[in-house]
Amino acid sequence: MSIGHTLLGLLEKGPRHGYDLKRAYDERFGQDRPLHYGQVYTTLSRLLRNGLVEEAGVEAGDGPERKRYAITDAGVTDVEKWLSTPEKPEPYLQNTLYSKVVLALLSGRDAGDVLDTQRSAHLVTMRELTKRKAAGDLADQLICDHALFHLEADLRWLELTAARLDRLKTEVVR
Amino acid sequence: MKRWFSDLALGVRLALGGGRTSWVRLVLTGAGIGLGVAVLLAASSVPTIFAERAERSSQQAAIPGEADDRALYLRWWITEYRAETVDVRYMMAGGPQAPVPPGIPAVPGDGEMYVSPALRELLDSPEGELLRERFPQKVIGSIGDNALTAPHDLVAMVGDPRMPRDSADPIARFGGPTQAQDLGPLLTLLVIVGCVVLLFPILVFVGISTRLAGAQRDRRLAALRLVGAGAQRVRRIAAGEALLGAVIGLAVGTGLFMISRRFVEDVRLLGLSVFTGDLTPVPWLAVLISALVPVLAVVTSVLAMRRTVVEPLGVVRHTKPVRRVLWWRLVPIALGTVALLTQAGSMGESSGGAGNQEVLIGGIVLLLLGIPTMLPWVVERSVSRLRGGAPSWQLAIRRLQLESGTAARVVGGVAVVLAGAIALQSVLTSVSAKIIEEPLSEADRGKVHVSLRQEPQDLAPQAVGMLERAEGVKRVHTTQSLAYRTDTRNYQGITIGTCEAMTALTALPDCQDGDAFMVVNQAATGNPAVAPGTTVTAFSEDEEITKSWTVPQYELVRAEIVTRNTSGLFLTPAAVRGADLPPGRTQIMVELDQSKADAVEHVRNAVAPLTWRTFVSFVGEIDMADRVVQFMSVRQALLAGSLITLLLAGASLLVLALEQVRERRRPLAVLAASGVPRGALGRSLLWQNAVPLLLALVVSTAVGTGLAALLLRVLDLPVALDWGGIGLLSVAAAGLGLVVTALTLPSLRRATGALGLRSE
Amino acid sequence: MRALLEATNLRKSFGPTPALDGAGLSVRAGEVVAVMGPSGSGKSTLLHCLAGILQPDSGTVRYRDAELSSMPDAQRSELRRTDFGFVFQFGQLVPELSCLENVALPLRLGGIKRRAAESRAREWLERLEVTGVADKRPGETSGGQGQRVAVARALVTGPSVVFADEPTGALDSLNGERVMQLLTAAARETNAAVVLVTHEARVAAYSDREVVVRDGKSREVEPAR
Ligand SMILES: Nc1ncnc2c1ncn2[C@@H]1O[C@H](COP(=O)(O)OP(=O)(O)OP(=O)(O)O)[C@@H](O)[C@H]1O
Ligand SMILES: [Mg+2]
Repeated sequence: MSIGHTLLGLLEKGPRHGYDLKRAYDERFGQDRPLHYGQVYTTLSRLLRNGLVEEAGVEAGDGPERKRYAITDAGVTDVEKWLSTPEKPEPYLQNTLYSKVVLALLSGRDAGDVLDTQRSAHLVTMRELTKRKAAGDLADQLICDHALFHLEADLRWLELTAARLDRLKTEVVR
Repeated sequence: MKRWFSDLALGVRLALGGGRTSWVRLVLTGAGIGLGVAVLLAASSVPTIFAERAERSSQQAAIPGEADDRALYLRWWITEYRAETVDVRYMMAGGPQAPVPPGIPAVPGDGEMYVSPALRELLDSPEGELLRERFPQKVIGSIGDNALTAPHDLVAMVGDPRMPRDSADPIARFGGPTQAQDLGPLLTLLVIVGCVVLLFPILVFVGISTRLAGAQRDRRLAALRLVGAGAQRVRRIAAGEALLGAVIGLAVGTGLFMISRRFVEDVRLLGLSVFTGDLTPVPWLAVLISALVPVLAVVTSVLAMRRTVVEPLGVVRHTKPVRRVLWWRLVPIALGTVALLTQAGSMGESSGGAGNQEVLIGGIVLLLLGIPTMLPWVVERSVSRLRGGAPSWQLAIRRLQLESGTAARVVGGVAVVLAGAIALQSVLTSVSAKIIEEPLSEADRGKVHVSLRQEPQDLAPQAVGMLERAEGVKRVHTTQSLAYRTDTRNYQGITIGTCEAMTALTALPDCQDGDAFMVVNQAATGNPAVAPGTTVTAFSEDEEITKSWTVPQYELVRAEIVTRNTSGLFLTPAAVRGADLPPGRTQIMVELDQSKADAVEHVRNAVAPLTWRTFVSFVGEIDMADRVVQFMSVRQALLAGSLITLLLAGASLLVLALEQVRERRRPLAVLAASGVPRGALGRSLLWQNAVPLLLALVVSTAVGTGLAALLLRVLDLPVALDWGGIGLLSVAAAGLGLVVTALTLPSLRRATGALGLRSE
Repeated sequence: MRALLEATNLRKSFGPTPALDGAGLSVRAGEVVAVMGPSGSGKSTLLHCLAGILQPDSGTVRYRDAELSSMPDAQRSELRRTDFGFVFQFGQLVPELSCLENVALPLRLGGIKRRAAESRAREWLERLEVTGVADKRPGETSGGQGQRVAVARALVTGPSVVFADEPTGALDSLNGERVMQLLTAAARETNAAVVLVTHEARVAAYSDREVVVRDGKSREVEPAR
């Protein structure tokens, strides 16, 4: 995910301090990986350099946190362009889960056991997400659902594979 | 108790809820039960009809008295008009105190008459034109209903002051005790069989109608079971639903009965007609019906639920029904057979009707009940092994395999009617063979007898003159008739006439004047022919003059059919010349020109001026014995009843078939939507009705013939089955099924429309 | 803590093939248990046995201190009415009754007066956000609305256990989520346990723990902390 574009998107609502930006980002997108403080400022200075944001006034005092940033027209155009460009569908081929499961199944372990263990683990995460979703606001729900659907997709694939391997095994044995 | 009531109420609520679907179902149930109730109410009026008729005819009974000025002089005349009998009474008041017959305000004067409404209508209509010539009198009023037995009676009361007192009956007053009719064992059993066979199917229909939409109801009750209604409560709830249907059916039936009652006077079924006022149910029977129908409804619906009650899972799973067991289904048939066997011979002529009527009725009912109980099993077992075939066939068979009960129910009623009809038909045939010992002779429509009353002066020449001038008359023959006897019991007729006249009466071989013939029945039962040369007593018909006479040499002739007028001695004039015989009565025989329509009516009109002094009948027409007349009217009533029951069977079958389509609307719509052609669906519907119908025909033919055989044993009659009649009835029932299926096709079209897909 | 509802070693066959082959399950008060497993593994059969709708061929089902399989039918009916609630994929509503009457039905069967029963039913319809369909018949509602009515009916008697068999099976994800949220929230509020049969992990995520059924055998998975 492009941090720059995300920050730009957050600025579209109105000028903000760098510190505010980090908080807003963490709240909505950073559940798993909060931004480093420095990361925000390097990104902002890159955006400033490219003319996508501008300084919208400095409050009394010293230090970068006193600066307010606003998005420029070029910045708005850039966000729009980013949003309207589809993400490249990524096949999860490098996913470790995939490799583990395929290896386990191919090495003759019981597909059901692998499935059960993995489902159990997945469900623990999914329960947490579900709980967080119940407590959170709309943005929380969107994020949690995104994660939930992906996790569910993992499980479904796993179930399907397990079922197929079971069938395959009986066919081979016969 | 309160619980009970609230459960029943919930049942009613369930039957009412559900919008259009429920309403349609209720309407169908109401129609099904209502039809039955209407017929039952009509049947319960039959005793009233007979009682009222008997009452009226007893009011009519003329009590003879002294021939004086206080008497009413009365003369009956029966004339026929196009196969309808007109009952004419000529009357003359002996004086001012003479009694007035019931139904009219005063004794009509010269040239006046009162007529029954039906006769008035006939006389006023173009069809009555020929009849008008017979009644030159002026109509001065209508005869009241209290003097008629049925609304279609043709009756005239005519004033005839010129009537000689000594040739009429002096009547002192009208009104006598009501007479009970004794039908004798044969006819009694026939009436019992008829009533049971005709009424029991109606009860079956009522029972079946309460089970409309069974599958839907089972699902609904399963949903109730799921939320925790116990088996007992679900039964009560179902009873509530059934009660509602029964009550609606009772209301519909009463309404139908009331409405059709109004028009009953306009209806003639096989010559029978009834007064609106007479068509009043016997109160206790009406009460019985209104109690019986709800009870029947509740009992059948509760019995029908044996299986579903235990299954709250009905909401999610439609399990394959449990295989039916046979043994208890055979119980009614076994019991019925035993009951009828115990009565074997009990209603025979020799045993004088000692049979136990309750046992007989019970036996017949049980046997017939065996059909609806057996059928589901038969259908289930018969279809369970069927496989494959065209898609429409497969659809139908699979459906039958899954739900043989519904299919069996649809045809069950018709099967009962059919079995009953087969039994009734067979018994009727045997009984009629027994009662009408001699075959009814076919009347010769080309020749009529004109009988004349004996008067001081001979009317014959006058009558012959009238007839010779009449339209449509080919020839007029006259013969003289008298009789002889050998002892007190053996009477035979003597006919004297020209060869030509006698040959017209009966088939005589090669007749010449001077010949004598003895005509006897071919089978030679009845009186033995007297040998020539025997001395016998010859007498005039009124037996006033008797003479000893020696039978001349004759030629013996065996004839096919022998009736009073066409058997006995036939003598040519030369054969009796010089013999001392009492005077004979002149018989007139008219040969008609059959190419002329209504020739016989012209003959009747020609002698009409002689009024009650004449009677015109076809040659070969015989007077039937009272027993035969009774039998004929019983048979007619039974046939009329069968017609009504058959119509009801058709109507019920239609209701059930429609309901079946309606209940399966959604699956049918899905099939149609997924591209199964309507034709295939229609054919599958046809198979779905035809297969059970065929099985029903088999079962009911078996039960019907069995019942017939048992009943004939009860009557001590030889077991002879009328296979022609059975075949005809079965074909008729099969035809009924096909017609009904055809009638449901429009509703199939509607069901398979796009709207059918929307589940409700 | 003692189990509220406990089944052990259940066996049940339909014909030759066993649907349950030694399955078991225990449910504690107030917890949500998901029953998962491949299609045809016997999940529904297990649920029906737990609820006393089906009698197992062998094995025991104990609810509180009573043994379900030895109870007469009338008593099990009573139990279904007072202590259990049911939500199925579809078909559990009585099509002839309005939604409100459907929800009030268990109360009325329990002898509560119509007015009282219906006002309580109305409260539940409100809680499940379907007051709009109170006077419609089930056939006239959408699948999601119908399921919420079914949830309301399952909970209206204050049951100790709610049995839900694929309650969201016929719904889209949004409606499914909503029904699950409402069901679990209401169940937790009234401390009702839920036995939830599903094959969707997202739906199972509303549970506290899951039980996996395979080939008629069950395996309880202890919640991983
Ligand atoms: N009433 C019944 N008659 C015959 N077989 C049945 C019946 N009920 C269930 N079965 C069989 O028992 C097995 C288990 O069925 P069950 O409905 O419990 O599966 P399930 O796990 O609920 O499946 P799904 O996820 O598809 O609903 C299946 O093989 C099914 O065919
Ligand atoms: Mg299932």
